[in-house]
Amino acid sequence: MAESTRTTNFRGRSVSSSESGWTRNEVKNVNNRENTQNSQASNSRSRNPWVCRYFLRGTCTRSECQYVHELPLTSNTRHSPIRNSTARRSMAKLHNTGQSMPSTSSQSSSLNEALNGSCGNEGQASSNSNNENNTLNNLRCEETGGAEEVTSTILKNDWVNAPEFVPSQPKQKSYAQAVNPMDSAEYIKYSEQRLCPYVTKEGCCRYPPGECTNLHGDLCDLCGRAVMHPFNEELRKKHHQDCIKQHEKDMELSFALARSKEKSCGVCFEVIMEKAIGEQRFGILPNCNHCFCLTCIRKWRQARQFENKIIRACPECRITSDFVCPSMYWVDTKEDKDKLIDDYKKALSKKDCKYFKKGSGKCPFGNKCFYLHAFPDGRICDVGPPPRQRRRRNFEHSDFDVLQHVILWDFLDDRANPWQSLADDLEDLVSFFSDSDDSDWSEYDLFYD
Amino acid sequence: MANIAAQRIKREFKEVIKSEEVAKCAIRVELLNDTFTELKGEIAGPPDTPYEGGTFVLEIKVPETYPFNPPKVRFVTKIWHPNISSVTGAICLDILKDQWAAAMTLRTVLLSLQALLSAAEPDDPQDAVVAKQYKENNEMFQITARHWTNVYAGGPNINKDCDDKIRRLADMGIEEHQARVALSSYDWELERATEQLFS
Repeated sequence: MAESTRTTNFRGRSVSSSESGWTRNEVKNVNNRENTQNSQASNSRSRNPWVCRYFLRGTCTRSECQYVHELPLTSNTRHSPIRNSTARRSMAKLHNTGQSMPSTSSQSSSLNEALNGSCGNEGQASSNSNNENNTLNNLRCEETGGAEEVTSTILKNDWVNAPEFVPSQPKQKSYAQAVNPMDSAEYIKYSEQRLCPYVTKEGCCRYPPGECTNLHGDLCDLCGRAVMHPFNEELRKKHHQDCIKQHEKDMELSFALARSKEKSCGVCFEVIMEKAIGEQRFGILPNCNHCFCLTCIRKWRQARQFENKIIRACPECRITSDFVCPSMYWVDTKEDKDKLIDDYKKALSKKDCKYFKKGSGKCPFGNKCFYLHAFPDGRICDVGPPPRQRRRRNFEHSDFDVLQHVILWDFLDDRANPWQSLADDLEDLVSFFSDSDDSDWSEYDLFYD
Repeated sequence: MANIAAQRIKREFKEVIKSEEVAKCAIRVELLNDTFTELKGEIAGPPDTPYEGGTFVLEIKVPETYPFNPPKVRFVTKIWHPNISSVTGAICLDILKDQWAAAMTLRTVLLSLQALLSAAEPDDPQDAVVAKQYKENNEMFQITARHWTNVYAGGPNINKDCDDKIRRLADMGIEEHQARVALSSYDWELERATEQLFS
């Protein structure tokens, strides 16, 4: 019976929107209660008589907390928000029973004043009226002296009037509410609030504690930064996933570093990772697993004093490869290598071919070219297979032919396979681009994109 | 550029010194200057060949473009071999020419030369006279090569017959090496050698 009245009272109470839960209404409510404090029944009816202990610590976040959000006597919170538990208990009891300190109008007014003060700033002193000082002294002596004694006498005398224990969940809550003990509308409001950028980026807020209008995130246990949104589960999940991804990336990187660290170039014999900055790059040959630095293998493949068959072959095992793939790290498994080469070709396919010239030129490599063949408006052009090159005729046929061959084919004449020269030029093309705009893609981390 | 060459020779030098072959006294490299451009190489004549027991000195010149170009190597020690000039010591070996690879080293070059001593390529000769003898009178080639090894490379097999014939020509006022070349070229027939020398 009594419980149901209390519940209705609780529901009827105006819900404040501010975080501290203090409104003028409530203060009035308190005042009213102060005046009728002698009557135990009316007191218990007005609301749950216990002072919220989170509030006492200054940290209660529930706006509709059913416990009393008021200071039993003003100056307590002013000194230190966290007091020893005995004192707090005794304070609460004192206040609730209202026996040891009969309230007077002057006291209630001073309380009111103090409450207003504490709404704005706890540290701001309220007026030190005599009454207040008295009550403060009372309290102090109680705290320091026989706090237990006093409370026990109160309990002995008025145990009948002692507040009834009421479970803290007066209404049925949904699962979501139970998990996130906050009003759903409010929850949504908070979940949309953005995180303080200073805490997120710099690790500490530029505002003094309590003055920042943004939310301060919880610590992420993976990255250790305060970036977990306290109310938005989706953002939390997303950050967690991002963190795991980042972690995997880091792991992959450290493995790549570990396997690259000791590798030395088969041409200059230097440890590639210990070479000068900018030369710490690997030149991966697609058809064999010998390790070279990009500079050396490119230089070798441009050594025109040798036959193409020689320079297009690996300097160690003589297996022919059509191109060299630059890489920041050594790759040893087939999957890694395939991915690297795939990424490399993809990166090249986004760059305009210097022969095609957006349609104004002609690329001798046709659709075998790694580079982009697109018109200025972005249309991709299928140039078809590379034009069939004329096979070399016999020298006897005509001197002119020989001359033409010398001019057109330069030193490329003695080839068994007419396509070989394409690959050679392609090699040049690749080096041309890599040398001319190095910063563009070769620094771009192809392997760990 | 030159820097790469020098750096690499430095590293290779350490590698050769540590290698097994050096431990077995099969090959050796010695620096001739501070810039790592000139070296002296030595290879031991491979066993079961006419060169067994001899030590052959090589002149190695490292180009600035090394290792993108092969080192220039020639025999300083006179040698009777189809692929090595008996006059200049020039070597005909594909890897020192068009079949060079940037991953090759002084060590692999010296070992290749040693292999060349065991397996001549008379069809791709440097010295046509030696190659002809190798193909047409291999027995005489073996004798000649062994004699040259003994005289120039410190080999143990003394051939009295050869020495006698050379002395006879020397008595006629012919310089010893010239006499040896003439006799070697004519399968140690004294008459034909004399004829050639005095014609």
